[in-house]
Amino acid sequence: MDSALIPEGAKRCSFPKFAIGIVIVGAVLLWGVFAMGLIWWKGLNQTNMNDYYGFALWIWADLAVIAVGGGAFFTGLLRYIFNIDELKNIINFAVIIGFICYSSALLILAIDIGQPLRGWFIFWHANVHSMLTEVAFCLSAYFAVLTIEFIPNILENRQANKVPFFRHLAHNMHGIMAVFAATGAFLSFFHQGSLGGVAGVLFGRPFAYREGLLIWPWTFFLFTWSAAAFGPCFTLLITKITETITGKKLVKDNVVNLLAKISGWMITIYIIAKIIDTIYWATVTAPSLGFNISHFYTNNGFYGYWILITEILVCGLVPGIILIMKSTRENPTLRLIAFILGVIGICLNRWVMVLQVMAVPVMSFDTWALYFPSWQEIATTILPVAYGIILISVTYRYLPVFPQEAELNAVEPAAETE
Amino acid sequence: MKVDRRSFLGLGLGAVAGIAVSPVGLKLTDDSSIWTQNWPWTPVPADGEVIYESSVCSLCPGSCGISVRKIENRPVKIEGRENYPVNNGGACLHGIAGLQYLYDPARVKTPLKKNGDKFEEISWDDAIALVAGKLADLRKSGSPEKFAAILDKEQGSVSGLFKRLFKTFGSPNFYTMPSFESYLEATAAAIHGEGKTIGFDLENADFVLSFGAGIIEGWGSPVNCFQANASRKERRAKLYQIEPNLSNTAANADKWVPIKPGTQADLALGICAVILKNNLFDSNATMNFKGGFNKFAAMLQKDYTPSKTAEITGVKAADIEKIAGLFAKAKKPVAVFGKGRGDGAQSLKELAAVHTLNCLVGNINKKGGVFVKSKNKYLEFPDESMDSIADAGFAKPKAGRYMNQLVEKINSSSKSVVEALFVYNANPCYSLHDTKSVKQALGKIPFIVSFSSFLDETAKEADIILPSHTFIERIEDVPSGAGLAKTVVGLTKPVASPVFNTKNPGDTVILIAKALKGSIAQSFEWESYNECLEGVTARIWDSLSEDGYAVISKGAPIEPAAVNLSFLSGNPPTVQAQGDFGLTLIPIDNMRLINAGAYVSPFAIKTVSDKVLKGKNIVVEINPLTAKGLKNGGFAIITTPIGTARVVVNFNEGLMPGVIGMVEGLGHTFENKYVSNKGVNVNDLIGPVIESGSGLDAAFGIKAKISKA
Amino acid sequence: MKQENNKEHKFGMVIDLDKCTGCGSCMVSCMSENNVPFKEDESNKKDSITWMRVYKLTNGKSFPDTETAYLPRPCMHCAGKGGHGHSPCVSVCPATATEYGHDTGIVSQIYTRCFGCRYCMGACPYHARYFNWWDPKWPEGMENYLSPNVSPRMRGVVEKCSFCYHRYQAARDKAYHEGRNDIEENEFQTACTTACPAGAIVFGDLNNPAHKVHQIVKPDPHPDKWNRHVVGKSRNPKVFRLLERLGTNPKIYYLSEREWIRRKGDNYLDGEWDKIKNHHGSSSHG
Ligand SMILES: Nc1nc2c(c(=O)[nH]1)N[C@H]1C(S)=C(S)[C@@H](COP(=O)(O)OP(=O)(O)OC[C@H]3O[C@@H](n4cnc5c(=O)[nH]c(N)nc54)[C@H](O)[C@@H]3O)O[C@H]1N2
Ligand SMILES: Nc1nc2c(c(=O)[nH]1)N[C@H]1C(S)=C(S)[C@@H](COP(=O)(O)OP(=O)(O)OC[C@H]3O[C@@H](n4cnc5c(=O)[nH]c(N)nc54)[C@H](O)[C@@H]3O)O[C@H]1N2
Ligand code: SF4
Ligand code: SF4
Ligand code: SF4
Ligand code: SF4
Ligand code: SF4
Ligand SMILES: [Mo]
Repeated sequence: MDSALIPEGAKRCSFPKFAIGIVIVGAVLLWGVFAMGLIWWKGLNQTNMNDYYGFALWIWADLAVIAVGGGAFFTGLLRYIFNIDELKNIINFAVIIGFICYSSALLILAIDIGQPLRGWFIFWHANVHSMLTEVAFCLSAYFAVLTIEFIPNILENRQANKVPFFRHLAHNMHGIMAVFAATGAFLSFFHQGSLGGVAGVLFGRPFAYREGLLIWPWTFFLFTWSAAAFGPCFTLLITKITETITGKKLVKDNVVNLLAKISGWMITIYIIAKIIDTIYWATVTAPSLGFNISHFYTNNGFYGYWILITEILVCGLVPGIILIMKSTRENPTLRLIAFILGVIGICLNRWVMVLQVMAVPVMSFDTWALYFPSWQEIATTILPVAYGIILISVTYRYLPVFPQEAELNAVEPAAETE
Repeated sequence: MKVDRRSFLGLGLGAVAGIAVSPVGLKLTDDSSIWTQNWPWTPVPADGEVIYESSVCSLCPGSCGISVRKIENRPVKIEGRENYPVNNGGACLHGIAGLQYLYDPARVKTPLKKNGDKFEEISWDDAIALVAGKLADLRKSGSPEKFAAILDKEQGSVSGLFKRLFKTFGSPNFYTMPSFESYLEATAAAIHGEGKTIGFDLENADFVLSFGAGIIEGWGSPVNCFQANASRKERRAKLYQIEPNLSNTAANADKWVPIKPGTQADLALGICAVILKNNLFDSNATMNFKGGFNKFAAMLQKDYTPSKTAEITGVKAADIEKIAGLFAKAKKPVAVFGKGRGDGAQSLKELAAVHTLNCLVGNINKKGGVFVKSKNKYLEFPDESMDSIADAGFAKPKAGRYMNQLVEKINSSSKSVVEALFVYNANPCYSLHDTKSVKQALGKIPFIVSFSSFLDETAKEADIILPSHTFIERIEDVPSGAGLAKTVVGLTKPVASPVFNTKNPGDTVILIAKALKGSIAQSFEWESYNECLEGVTARIWDSLSEDGYAVISKGAPIEPAAVNLSFLSGNPPTVQAQGDFGLTLIPIDNMRLINAGAYVSPFAIKTVSDKVLKGKNIVVEINPLTAKGLKNGGFAIITTPIGTARVVVNFNEGLMPGVIGMVEGLGHTFENKYVSNKGVNVNDLIGPVIESGSGLDAAFGIKAKISKA
Repeated sequence: MKQENNKEHKFGMVIDLDKCTGCGSCMVSCMSENNVPFKEDESNKKDSITWMRVYKLTNGKSFPDTETAYLPRPCMHCAGKGGHGHSPCVSVCPATATEYGHDTGIVSQIYTRCFGCRYCMGACPYHARYFNWWDPKWPEGMENYLSPNVSPRMRGVVEKCSFCYHRYQAARDKAYHEGRNDIEENEFQTACTTACPAGAIVFGDLNNPAHKVHQIVKPDPHPDKWNRHVVGKSRNPKVFRLLERLGTNPKIYYLSEREWIRRKGDNYLDGEWDKIKNHHGSSSHG
């Protein structure tokens, strides 16, 4: 039915099967859209946020999707700037995932603010001292870059490619993609960093506050590095999920292992830096402000030391080591476990840097604040997931996302029927 | 033109690009943001000329001078009036929130008449005619004494008009709610003789020994007390606070002396005993004592030795001796009584015992001491004309001495005791102990007229409501009292024109009197309340109208006050709490709530801690030692001999073990979502305990048990 | 008024916690002065707009050694590290919707510019900032008492104590019309200060030695020798600021004779307090 749009030589499931899948995920999406409408119509009283939790689930979701979306800029950097040619086989997908992550982040931001129609004041009345201003500018610019990086892939659709203008455009864009990749990497460096700065500059919040270099707190660098380190884990995890669902091998193991190895080294270096940062913060920064580290991790079951151990050791050091050691990295199960742990770890880090910051009392007579999101917040946070699944399904179906797909599946056309 | 795919795409892209570079997008974006800055549902207050008008707050007996900021005649802010002799610029949160009462949509907006379960609107003329008709019938039936009134106070010209109506009608059954002023008069009567009241010169005292008086909890004239208390720091004056819970006053005091609930009288007598035994008393003062001073002293040395007193009160004998020494040796000591806000239940034994301390150390009528003054007599009503019905009826005995006896009598009598009732500025169905029996008594009264501005618990029981102006809309004389050292009469002025179809209660009474014709009408020959007020306050009217207040007395009275200790010398029994459960539930007064008269405003209730009110649940305080099996923050059931309530528990180390503290002023049940149906009314759980001899309801609390809900 | 005549003010407060009774007049006066809305249930203090909030402190001891006290908390009008005007909240606001007035020391809030991102709330360790989760609604007729001097806020923006800036403007205008260069101490007093029946709040210009607030606080003209971020530390040993060590440089000072209360003002590691408690202030930890 839609075969004219499907890339040449690619095998796809039947249209009705595809449509049913889309409808199911679409229902979840609509639920999220409904919640979003409620929030825009009635305001943020639809959430469980309060004056202690001004930043909550959404800001975490924002930071998390942007962190895992870091696979796009980092893979782009490796592919176009460091010329690691094998990565051309996964760059399209990395860009699509990045596009999904960043568009989701912008959408969540538009829901999260109390006056969405005035959101543009962040540009119009920009305060150069604010990390959020830096985030807004870089994020928007980088989203534009991602769109530009995405366009050639869209134009490679079988029908679009028939239009000579589009064909030439796609070709020429590929040619200058290094410029965009460089721009993207530069912008990402700043917005990932400034997202880290969002928490790190809060000198009124000793749990978040970090010293740093010039105007940038250490979290600035840690966030950039961690996004670069864990982003590829997410790209590879989504690739693996896509392969499982489609029942096809889409990217060759040598490509996966190469990216996994780079990610492993990045994670390990990051975790060492993170451990040093944590030790310095716990033994120097916080005590200088009158806080023992135990102040931040006791009093309630949820924010216990377990969260620190899980983030740094279980979901940081462990995946890092798995991915740098050849034997474990090339074991598909261990490699998958490492990806999963890595993605949990980075999300947990963003959680801690948003929600635990709000939970910890600062005034000696203040109290811990715990919070559970409302269904509207949950629905709008799941919304981008549904949107991502749909976009990946559509792009996978209609665009030549995986250059190695034809090669890997030509010999075994029966694979799909499994 | 043929629209093929290419030209379509081209056109589309062109249009998008065109709109993008045109100012349309920017304009729409800008307009939409401007719209969010001017949402039509966000009010835009009108601006205009600003003026300030001074008046007096009469929400509580404090009688503070206020200054009302008005914009184009619209009051927008109430503040304390600078240099006013009572409060000098300060104001409490309730007074400041006064405009919320004025504009409250839950007010009674026009006279109402009950029809079945519902109120119907009725015109003022019809309402007055109806009330006068009912009263005329009652009078004709030959029992004018079955007409009763419940007011908040006796002082002032509006109360004067009510009293006059009752006298000329022929009924002695005029009651006031228990108030601090009524206890001051009862104490003065017991020790110094009738016709007197008491004022405490706290701002000059150097040692205040408070037997639970909530000096910063709304006791006395609240703002005046706050100021006197705050100046302690500069004056190096001391405050010792004796009560079972760490109230704000106790926390602010130099020392908190925890004491078993209900034993303050015994401690006061124990301290008297030490003062006498150690010859610490002022012998000049005691020379003038009459009525069994020796008997009193002998009783003390027998029944109130330090060790016996310690046993009863839980205060260490050494501490008793030390406090006695500090108190007696201070230059300007004052002992103050009136637990909490001073308007709840009190025992005369306690009031008298504490006041005896003042008499012993000779601080009566001295600067920094206690002023025993004549009752405020600035009003001069012309003689009333009494017909024979009035004379006969007025001479009959009252149905009960105080409110609680009246309630008791109505409930226990098979015959009708009261046929018609007026209620003004009082909410007995909420503020008296055992509200259920109060409501039952009111239920037996065939005709109730309320003068309330709000549809409160008692107004809901009425047959007719003749709504009064709030204090912001009416003129009235407001005499100070409530233990203030000086005597000031202030003038409340109508700073706003009436928002609803209400009247000054003075005018309403005059209209009713006129409608009753005959000698009653002859006693009310004023055109209006304004005219009446000017006439009856003629002596001070110039000062009232020009300055907004008149100072009747200040400084210590010159005449000495006789002291008669015969009431105490026989050691009347100390009132015990009702019931035999293991714990004692006591009411706690909280400045941010109101437990009598008006109800709390939305602003004031907003300030109430979540350790007092959480959602719709009241939070009670209990020492963790007493809270076996309970969870901090968890639900519990409190049971007393007269009721049960579901509460949230808050562990508080500032409560004596064995005591449960429950705040007063919550649990209203009328229609007002901001202040009603929040928590429980502690008066639903505590029943009256009548002190033999005085007849006062002296229930300081009630025995209770608490268990996990 | 000519610019050179404009003295640089640094408005601030000192609140005597030994006098404060916890009565709540300051809270209500502030609400009434500044058109603060109210709603049906205000018992969840985490979403109840109270520009002035009065906290209850306890010494944590058990009966009968328990002590309590009250601590009123308006916005601290933080001057930020080194006193340069980079308040925790001002420095983070992406839209410049809250600013530090260098001539007044007042941290302003521009409701119509704020787009409700709430970053400033996360930045403020004092919880002095409140978000309008709901449309402000007054019961029918009650909007009649609203003051035109302070605009009612719309849903979706942050608000906080303004040090009653409109009163400053009124005073400044009056002085200008009367040909004076500067306002008098008593011409600009905040609504909480004038309402306090205990006289616990003293408000004025910390830069002006003639003002009572300056005389009580005696602000140190030099940065703290232990912590260069801290400026304007009080030289009165009974005076402290909340969380002084963080370098937020609040302009609300507190006064108490009671050591346990002064200790509550900041966080201390074991043993630190005993070393510094007899010296003025609390930011040192050496
Ligand atoms: N605290 C504080 N006070 C300030 C300032 C500040 O930053 N902080 N800024 C000062 C400055 S720069 C200025 S110019 C003044 C502004 O002072 P004002 O002019 O008083 O400004 P607003 O309070 O914003 O608005 C006044 C009133 O106009 C209403 N209003 C809004 N739109 C309309 C309309 O279309 N018609 C009518 N009739 N009313 C409308 C608003 O709701 C508000 O009640 O404020 C000064 N006062
Ligand atoms: N949300 C919102 N936005 C508005 C308005 C509004 O009412 N609400 N009003 C609009 C209007 S009318 C105006 S004028 C602008 C005002 O906008 P701005 O002028 O940007 O804002 P303000 O906060 O009023 O004042 C800015 C700073 O100036 C300081 N300041 C006050 N007086 C002086 C002075 O005499 N000299 C110096 N150097 N600094 C001073 C204040 O403390 C504050 O830090 O905002 C406009 N935007
Ligand atoms: S203390 Fe009483 S009289 Fe004074 S302002 Fe408060 S309510 Fe009014
Ligand atoms: S107290 Fe909070 S809101 Fe006020 S200036 Fe400081 S950081 Fe900003
Ligand atoms: S909520 Fe408003 S004032 Fe606060 S940071 Fe965001 S835009 Fe600025
Ligand atoms: S200074 Fe003004 S705005 Fe700030 S708390 Fe006091 S009354 Fe409220
Ligand atoms: S008004 Fe004064 S005494 Fe009352 S709570 Fe506020 S600061 Fe304390
Ligand atoms: Mo302006």
